[in-house]
Amino acid sequence: MSETRIYQELVKIVGSKNISNDPKVLEEYSEDLSFFPKKKPKYVIWPRNRNQIQKTIKLANSLNFSIIPVSSSSGPRHHGDTIPRNNNSIVLNLSKLKKIINIDRKNRVVMIEPGVSFGELIPHLYKKGLKILTPLHPRSSKSVLTAALEREPIIIPRYMWDSSDPLLCTEVFFGNGELFKTGTAAGPGSIKQQKKSGQAQVNPMGPTQFSPFRLIQGAQGSIGIVTWATLKLELVPSIQKVFHLQSENIEELLDFQYELLKYRLCDELLIVNNLNLACLIKEDSSEILQLANSLAMWNLIFVISGRDQLANDKIDYLEGDIHDIMKEKKLKLSNNKSKINKDDILKFLNQADANPWRLRLNGGCQDIFFISNYEKITEFIALVENQIANNLGIYIQPINQGTSYHCEFDIYYNPNNQEEALYVKEKFMKTSIDLMNSGAFFNRPYGLWAKEVYERHEDSTYRALKKVKRIFDPNNVLNPGVLCFDD
Amino acid sequence: MVLEKDIFKEFEDIVGIGNIDDGEVITNVYAYNWCMEIFNYMEGKEPIPFSPIPKAVVLPSSTVEVQQIVKLCNKYRIVFKAQSTGLGPWNQPSTDNSIIIDLRRMNKIVKIDEKNLYAVIEPYVSGSQLQVEIMKYGLNCHMPGAGPQVSPLASATSMNGPGFTSPSTGHSARNVLAVEWVLPDGEIMKLGAYGLKNNPDFFHGDGPGPSLRGIMRGWAGTKSGLGVFTKVAVKLFPYPCSTEYSVKGYSPNYDFEIPEFMKLYVMDCGNFKKLETVMLRVEEQEISFMCSYLSGFAVMAIFSNSIESLMDKIAIGQMKAPLVVIIAARTQREFYYKQKVMDFLLKKFKIKNIIGKIYTPNPTFYAEALRSNLGLHGFIATGGFQSTKGVADTANVCLRSTKSNIPLKKGFIKQGVIVNDFGEGTWMTSYESGHYFHMESPTMFDQTTEQSVSGMAEYMEKSNQLDLLKHLGAPFFVEGTRMHELFGPHMSNYHIWLRKIKEIFDPNNISDSGFYITPQNK
Ligand SMILES: Cc1cc2nc3c(=O)[nH]c(=O)nc-3n(C[C@H](O)[C@H](O)[C@H](O)COP(=O)(O)OP(=O)(O)OC[C@H]3O[C@@H](n4cnc5c(N)ncnc54)[C@H](O)[C@@H]3O)c2cc1C
Ligand SMILES: Cc1cc2nc3c(=O)[nH]c(=O)nc-3n(C[C@H](O)[C@H](O)[C@H](O)COP(=O)(O)OP(=O)(O)OC[C@H]3O[C@@H](n4cnc5c(N)ncnc54)[C@H](O)[C@@H]3O)c2cc1C
Repeated sequence: MSETRIYQELVKIVGSKNISNDPKVLEEYSEDLSFFPKKKPKYVIWPRNRNQIQKTIKLANSLNFSIIPVSSSSGPRHHGDTIPRNNNSIVLNLSKLKKIINIDRKNRVVMIEPGVSFGELIPHLYKKGLKILTPLHPRSSKSVLTAALEREPIIIPRYMWDSSDPLLCTEVFFGNGELFKTGTAAGPGSIKQQKKSGQAQVNPMGPTQFSPFRLIQGAQGSIGIVTWATLKLELVPSIQKVFHLQSENIEELLDFQYELLKYRLCDELLIVNNLNLACLIKEDSSEILQLANSLAMWNLIFVISGRDQLANDKIDYLEGDIHDIMKEKKLKLSNNKSKINKDDILKFLNQADANPWRLRLNGGCQDIFFISNYEKITEFIALVENQIANNLGIYIQPINQGTSYHCEFDIYYNPNNQEEALYVKEKFMKTSIDLMNSGAFFNRPYGLWAKEVYERHEDSTYRALKKVKRIFDPNNVLNPGVLCFDD
Repeated sequence: MVLEKDIFKEFEDIVGIGNIDDGEVITNVYAYNWCMEIFNYMEGKEPIPFSPIPKAVVLPSSTVEVQQIVKLCNKYRIVFKAQSTGLGPWNQPSTDNSIIIDLRRMNKIVKIDEKNLYAVIEPYVSGSQLQVEIMKYGLNCHMPGAGPQVSPLASATSMNGPGFTSPSTGHSARNVLAVEWVLPDGEIMKLGAYGLKNNPDFFHGDGPGPSLRGIMRGWAGTKSGLGVFTKVAVKLFPYPCSTEYSVKGYSPNYDFEIPEFMKLYVMDCGNFKKLETVMLRVEEQEISFMCSYLSGFAVMAIFSNSIESLMDKIAIGQMKAPLVVIIAARTQREFYYKQKVMDFLLKKFKIKNIIGKIYTPNPTFYAEALRSNLGLHGFIATGGFQSTKGVADTANVCLRSTKSNIPLKKGFIKQGVIVNDFGEGTWMTSYESGHYFHMESPTMFDQTTEQSVSGMAEYMEKSNQLDLLKHLGAPFFVEGTRMHELFGPHMSNYHIWLRKIKEIFDPNNISDSGFYITPQNK
C-alpha cells in the first residue's frame, strides 16, 4: 500500500519520465566495484531542480523511506557507499543538475551543480585561463562536486591550505528538508544580493560560530544533500616544467619531496610506483606491463610552473633553488633518465579521462587508502607488500601542505575470474585491518571498512557524530547505515 | 557569591592547594577586562569595565583535571568560563554563578613535528614562545593580529584568526589539525587521527567521516561556549626569510638588523577600484608575506610608538588608498624574482613605493612584522579601540564595506565620541594568496568616559545594521543570543541549528553561553 503511495507521490514530484523501477536500472545501482553486499533500491529518480529535491526529502520523512544521493552520471563506483542498506531506499540521482552556474575569473572561484563532471569542467575553465584542483587523473564522468565533498586528495599539496580544499560554500538540504547555505553564502542576503555587494562565496567558514560544510563533507550523503557548491580555482600556468625522478629507494624521494613542499617550490607533486605510473600513461595491459618493467620501483613526479611575463624568471628561480637543495642533499637523481614523454605526464596531471586508469590493467581494482604521517609511510608499504606480492599499484600523495599523506594501494585483478576475485576480497579486508591495527588512519571509511574503523576509534567520536546526525537528519532518511550511523 | 566550603574542597582536591582561589581580590581582578564597558552598555547594563564576578578561579594542570572540573561544574550546575591568555571581554563570565578555568598551568609545547610540518600546543603557550622554538627548524606559525603574546590555541580553536601574515599563513581556523577537547558534559574528545586507539597522532583533524571541526568553530570560535580545548595541532609554514634575528636595546626602542632578503612596499593606489586591482594582482603572483590595505591613519599608526611619533607622519596619512606589502625570501634568487614582479606591477599600474624615498621606517618595524606584532599600535592614540565589521569574502565586498562605513563613522566623529580617523580606519588583509579577504574597522575611543563608551556602542550597533541592510557580510561579533537572533533570520536561520548543537552537546548549559548561544529554555 504505502509502496504504491511512495511511487505515486514521487511521480507527482519529478514526473513519470524522471523515475524508474525498471529492474535493469535498479540492478545497476545494486552493486559496485567494492565487495559490499548487493541490494536493489526501490526506485531511481532524477530530480530537475531543488524544489523537487526538497519535496522528495520531506516525503521521505513523512512516508519513512531512505534516500541515497548520487551525482556522477555513470559509474564505475568503487566504495559501496551508495548501495542500499535497507529495503526501503530510493536513489536520488543528481546527475541531471549540470549547470556551471558561475565562473568568476577575478575571484578565482566556480559555482557548480552536482552533475557537472571533470570531463566537462576542466576544458571549460581552461579556456578562461582557470583550473580546478583535481584528484589524480579523474574519471571524465565523475562529479566534481562529490570529489570535493568526499575529501578526495588533490595533486597540488601546496594549494591545500585546509584538508577541506577545494570545497568552499554550499547550498544544502539537511535531512529534515530544510534548505541551508554554508560559509559566507549563508548571508546576510540572497546569493543575488550578495553578488550585488561584490561577494563571490569564497569563504567556507561559518556562518558565525560553526562551519556546517565540514559536517556535510566526508558524510557520504548522510547529513545533507548539496545542490551547488563553490570551489576555489587556480590560474593556468603558461609554462609547466615536469620532473620525473626515479629511485629504488622511496626514502630518498620522500626526503626530497619534503623539501620541495616545505618551501612551496612546486605545484603538482606525487610519488607512484612503477605499475601505477604505467597505468597512468598507457591504456593497454601489455603496454602497461612493458613500461612498468622499464621503470625504477619509485617515481617522484613534480611540476614547476610560471605565468605571465615573468614566467621564465620564476622557472629559473625555482630550478636554481631546487638544484641547490639537491646538491645539499647530495642527491644523484636525474630528470634526463626518464623514458617517458613529459607531455604524457602532463596529460594525466592536467586532464580527465574516460578510461579510468585504475581499471586499465585487469579491468578490476580494489583500492585501500588512508592517511599517514611521513614516518610511517614506509612501514605501511612494507606491510602491504608483504601481503600482496603482485599487481600492486602504490600512490603516495602529500596533502594539506605536507602535514599528512594519502597512501593508496591499488590491488589490480580480473573481476570476472572468480577465484582471483575471492582471493582479492580476502586480502583486501585482511590487509585493511592489519593497516588499521598499525595506526593507519582510514578517515574516509567506506562500505565494509566503516564498522572496523569506528571500532578502532575513541567512542567519544561516534557518540558525537551520532548527535550531529540526530540534529541534521532526525528521522535518519539520508543514506542510513553508512559510517557509524547503523541504527 | 563564593563557593560553598564543601564544593570548594572538591575543586581543590582536583587541582591541589594553591591552585584555586575564591578570595575577593582575585575574583574581582578576573572580573575586569578590556572593552567590557562597551559590551555591558550594549546589553543595557552600566558601562563599567567589569563582568559578573566569578565565584572562584581554578588552575588545572592537565586534561584530566579539566575534565574533572567540568564534571563537577555539571554536578553542581556551576557555569565555567575557560581562558588561555585572557585578552579581551570574550573571556568574561556572563553570570556570577560561574568559575573561571584559567589554563595558564597548561603551558607546554607538546611536540614540534618537523617532518609533518605542525606543532602541538597547550592553551598557555604564546605565539612568540612557539615561534622561537620552530624557527630553529626554519618554520613559522600563524598568529592572530592580536599579537605574539596571545595563545595560538585559543585563536585556532575558540576565537577568530585573521593575522597580518595571512597571505602566507592563512587563518587560524584553517590551520587546525587534530584537537583534544573536553566537551561540556566532561567527555574527552580527540579529533581526527588523535582519536585512533592504535598509534594516535596529531597529523590530521578530520573524520573518520564528517569533520567535527564543523561544530568546533566557524569563522569565529565558540568562545568557551562548547567545552574546553586542551591541545591543538597547528600547521606550520616556512619561515619567510633567514631565521637570524639580531636585536639589541630596550623596549620600545630596539635596534634590529633587517634580515637580508626582506623588503617593504607602501604604495598609494589612489582609489579603491585601483587598490582592488593591484591587490588582486599582487596576490595572484603568490609573492607576498604580508599584503594589507590600511587606511592612511592606520599606516601612520603601524610605524608609531607614541602619539608624538604618530603626529610626525601626517604626510603618510594623506594617502588615499595605501597598500602595504612585504616580500621576504630565503634565497637571493627568490628575492630577486619577487622584487622583479613588484617592479613589474608598480610600473604597470603606475604606482610608487614611498619606502626609502618619502619615508624610512625604524628597523624594528620589520621585527614586529616577522613577529606578527603590528596590532598593538591600535592602542597608541587613546588606549582603547574596538573593531566593527569583519566581513570575509572578496576584496570587492571588503572595500565596499569600508566605503559605506565612512559617512557613518564621520557622524560619530563629529559628535566627538570616537577618535578622528577621517572615518577611514580600516585594516583589510588577503588570505592564502588572495583567495579571500577580510576587513575590519578598528575604532578608537575613550574607555574612561561614559559619553565615548556609549557613542562607540551606538556606532557599533549602527554599523551592524548597515551590514544587514546592505548585505555586506556578517561582522565578527555576531555572538551571544541577542546578536544571533538579530542576524540568524537573515542568514539561512543558522541560529536554529547552532542552538541545537548547544542543546545536544551541553544539556545542562554549563559551558558559558554568553558569547555563544543559549539553549531554547534560557
Ligand atoms: C587588550 C589590552 C588591554 C589592556 N588594558 C589595560 C588596562 O586597562 N589597564 C592597565 O593597567 N593595563 C592594561 N593593559 C596592559 C597590560 O596590563 C600589560 O600588558 C601588562 O600589565 C604587562 O604585562 P606583560 O606581560 O605584557 O609584561 P611585559 O611587557 O613583559 O613587561 C611590562 C614591563 O614590566 C617589566 N617586567 C616584566 N616582567 C618583569 C619582572 N618579572 N620583574 C620586573 N619587571 C618586569 C618589563 O621590563 C616591562 O617594562 C592592557 C593590555 C592589553 C593587551
Ligand atoms: C589589540 C587586539 C587586537 C586584536 N586583533 C585580532 C586580530 O587581528 N585577529 C584576531 O583573530 N583576533 C584579534 N583580537 C582578538 C584576539 O583574537 C584574541 O584576544 C586572542 O586571539 C585570543 O587569544 P587569547 O590567548 O587572548 O585567548 P583568550 O583571550 O584566552 O580566549 C579567547 C576566547 O576563547 C575562549 N577560550 C580561550 N581558551 C580556551 C580554551 N582552551 N577552551 C575553550 N575556550 C577557550 C575564551 O573564553 C575567550 O572567549 C585582537 C584583540 C586585541 C586586544
